[in-house]
Amino acid sequence: MYKSKLSDHLILILGSVLMIGPVLIVFLTSTHDAVEVHRFGLMASWGDHFTETYNKVLFKEGGFTGQVTGVRMLINSLILGIGFGIGKIVLSMLAAYAIVYFRFRMGTFFFWVIFTTLLLPLEVRIMPSYEVVQQLGMLNSYSGMIVPLLASATGTFYFRQFFKSVPDELLEAARIDGAGPFKFFIDILVPTSKTMIAAIFIIMFVYGWNQYLWPMMMTNDEAHFTLVRGIKQILLVWVGSQIPEYNEAFALAVLAMLPPVLVVLIFQSWFIKGLTESDK
Amino acid sequence: MKRVQFTNASLPYLLLLPQLAIIVIFFYWPSAQAIQSSFYLEDPFGFGSTFVGMENYTDVLGSNEYASIARFTIAFTLLVTFLSLSIALLLAVKADAVLKGSSTYKTLLMWVYAVAPPVAGLMGVMFFDMHIGPFLKVAAFFGWDFKIGLNYFDTAFAMVVIAVWKQIPYNFIFFLSGLQAIPKSVREASMIDCRSGFRRFWSIILPLLAPTAFFLLIINMTYSLFDTFGIVDVVVKDKAANNPITLVYKVYMDGFRGGDLGGSSAQSVILMLVVFVLTIFQFRFIERRVHYG
Amino acid sequence: MAYRKTVASLVAAAALLGTSNVSFAATEISWWHGMGGRNQEVINEISEKFNASQDACHLTPLSKGTYEEALNSGIAAFRAGEQPNILQVFDAGAATIINAKGAVVPAEDLIKDAGHEFSRDAFIDGVRYFYADKDGKFIGMPFNSSAPIMYINDEALKKAGVEAPKTWEEFETIAPKLKEAGFIPLVQSQLTWEFTENFFSRHNLQFATNNNGYDGVKDTKILVNTPEHKMMYSKLKEWYDNGFFGYYGAGWSDNQKPFEENKVAFWIGSSGSFGGLQKSAQMPFSATFLPYWSSVEGAGTNSFIGGAALFAFAKKPKEENDCTASFFQFLTSAEIQYFWHKSTGYVPITKAAYEMAQEQGYYKETPQAEVGIQQLMLKGGEWSKGYRMGFYPQIREIMEREYNKIFANETSVDDAMKTIEEEGNKLLERFAKTAG
Repeated sequence: MYKSKLSDHLILILGSVLMIGPVLIVFLTSTHDAVEVHRFGLMASWGDHFTETYNKVLFKEGGFTGQVTGVRMLINSLILGIGFGIGKIVLSMLAAYAIVYFRFRMGTFFFWVIFTTLLLPLEVRIMPSYEVVQQLGMLNSYSGMIVPLLASATGTFYFRQFFKSVPDELLEAARIDGAGPFKFFIDILVPTSKTMIAAIFIIMFVYGWNQYLWPMMMTNDEAHFTLVRGIKQILLVWVGSQIPEYNEAFALAVLAMLPPVLVVLIFQSWFIKGLTESDK
Repeated sequence: MKRVQFTNASLPYLLLLPQLAIIVIFFYWPSAQAIQSSFYLEDPFGFGSTFVGMENYTDVLGSNEYASIARFTIAFTLLVTFLSLSIALLLAVKADAVLKGSSTYKTLLMWVYAVAPPVAGLMGVMFFDMHIGPFLKVAAFFGWDFKIGLNYFDTAFAMVVIAVWKQIPYNFIFFLSGLQAIPKSVREASMIDCRSGFRRFWSIILPLLAPTAFFLLIINMTYSLFDTFGIVDVVVKDKAANNPITLVYKVYMDGFRGGDLGGSSAQSVILMLVVFVLTIFQFRFIERRVHYG
Repeated sequence: MAYRKTVASLVAAAALLGTSNVSFAATEISWWHGMGGRNQEVINEISEKFNASQDACHLTPLSKGTYEEALNSGIAAFRAGEQPNILQVFDAGAATIINAKGAVVPAEDLIKDAGHEFSRDAFIDGVRYFYADKDGKFIGMPFNSSAPIMYINDEALKKAGVEAPKTWEEFETIAPKLKEAGFIPLVQSQLTWEFTENFFSRHNLQFATNNNGYDGVKDTKILVNTPEHKMMYSKLKEWYDNGFFGYYGAGWSDNQKPFEENKVAFWIGSSGSFGGLQKSAQMPFSATFLPYWSSVEGAGTNSFIGGAALFAFAKKPKEENDCTASFFQFLTSAEIQYFWHKSTGYVPITKAAYEMAQEQGYYKETPQAEVGIQQLMLKGGEWSKGYRMGFYPQIREIMEREYNKIFANETSVDDAMKTIEEEGNKLLERFAKTAG
């Protein structure tokens, strides 16, 4: 087996420090008060407003209706993240399966039809998209927040790449055993793709979790506020007139980080398993 | 293409149906309208409009300003794609190799991806702040009078660093998943064949990672082009002035802020065509060298 | 309090279900705005007060992100027939919505149709024309308004032994002393607003053809390439080179920071800036009017307002429009204007509210709060009413770009103004076609 060297650890430690250091700074900064942050910028020391600030962002009933609470925003963000992650995996695995594992004339054409969605970001077509969603009666709903975002090629492209590199012997063996397309997909391909599913779920969960513009545009009440929108709301203060509550925005960002990190921790174990599973 | 495939008349269409339905309804239909409006000058509320043919296109392509934004966008895209891919690959290979503390490293390296974009941007801006940013001290140590917002290069530097930093975990996750999927038997065989770590990586691991790497190349290119407008906005404090900006930020300024639907649509179409040609090129010339399984 | 919250959420829930006819049958109206933080809280408080003041209407405000995001949300919703009753639109974007004939009901018509009295004279002169049409009819209802004023570092003045200047000529004579005392004499935060748009208003100079753009979109031309305006920027550049003027790029806060840190003698900011400065400035400060050149004939007129206005969307049922009208009436009442002024630092828009603030002794505690409104009440001139140019956000961007280049020695004042004029007129020409 490969022996890890000191230099490997050094590179990893350096990388971790550069990546995680700023996160720590966000946390430390969130414990200071807003005027201090405004005056001195990022903080590398522990401030004395931790309890106060975190209490406020977690339990304050914000907004006009009092519905903008930390918990409510958390739930909305979770719905967006999970809905988007699962929706994306199901749709794109099926599509990629069709494109790679079936012999039909339109396969390549459809791949490009799907792929093209990478070339025109949602921001550019937001007005007509709004009209479509309105005509379908999906304004102000969770499905309206999630489904239009699923119109993208990332997942399909990714699974296509992976399916193409799955050894052909797998399918040959399965066919000898008499497995049909469904059995092969469920019993063999899905388990083999576990690591890939984990990776794409982490990415897509966070992507959905962090959506701002689209959910903001197409919802009309405070009950649909997400954490990112809450953060933006706090920072939405014109610095010419007032000092934004930087500490609250940072605190909310720290809290907003926890669920995705939990997702990373859970799915990370799949990363190891994937190794042995594909050990054919 | 696979040597063996299923042959079933209707099943592949059925499998593709959900994805295609969503794409047609929520992508092609709105996009067609966006493309149509690139031939008009219209008031955004939909009362007045004038058909102007190719005028929106010629206006954009004839402007010097647009050309210099395009040049910066190319440099920015190349840098961000190259740096975030290579750093993430290095970290993924190392995290995959070590045994002790491997899961701790992985968690730490994925963590940043979870930072909410507005705060990540704000933090980056505070780090590079022209008056109180900690980076000023680092720069001063090297005799660099760092002036974000005033100096074109310095502003571009901050943009690239923040964009790369934000994208590394994304690439790390995918590279790691690609590495984990390499069967143990292959690795063990490679240990015997190649004693040099670097050569082993170059001749055995990298080719096996190529499908993932190709995917990431394309995705990172579109990330740098399309998804970084938030970073640009926060770095220039929503006043582009003579600072570097990317093409998609220009689309945002003209369309979203300025209400010029025709002009911004034309810019999007130009961008789309260029990226389309680029990806076709990549599929034809780079993917050819990617060996799948 | 708890009871009111419950009622409010019940009403919101009922609105969601589309059954606005709950027991007390209040007409639901909605208001989308682009404010966060403290200002949003004040908006919520005002809405609560309005709802508590009568039973016929129930107003629900909703923050829709930034000004730009709120405007685009409004546009998208309007195109789909889902528009709110009221939308807040920022100054530079106002031409877009005002020129889209049919998108909004003029605020004045709305109020009169609902049977209320409306008197243009009740409003402060500097406020009443900015969102009005060429005949002075209110299209938008001015909401959050501010003026560019000069903040003074009292400590710096004392050290240098000088008085705050009224004119730029006076500034030129004292600037060397301030520099000697160790201060940067002058810094500003937004050249476009403070040294271009309000250069024209303070000096009563024409900013655009077609009556500053009010008479129509066809053939409107911007007039930045004029001797007076070029003189202003040549002077700024000269001061910059001599160390009398500090420039930190186009970002607002980057320029405000050195003033807060007691490094700067005069800072041109917003009349609403004092609230934040009270917390962040490290020295005592006061404020006065934005200086002008006494050499320009007729100078010293009032400034334009900055900020945003409220627009009532068209295609809404009469009873909802009547509620919107009642809200506008409520909003412009002296009590509410005074409350808004005190809580946010924006200027009150009616004379009655200003008098109330004086009577209550507000300006005795916070003299800085009075400067903005006094500047808006200075004598008006033909060209200090307002300007209306389409695609103005883009024109501002061109100015910001060229001004940055002036201070980076990448262009001359002459070339910069020529470029702004050329590119600006091209945009205005394009805008005229959007109305066609």
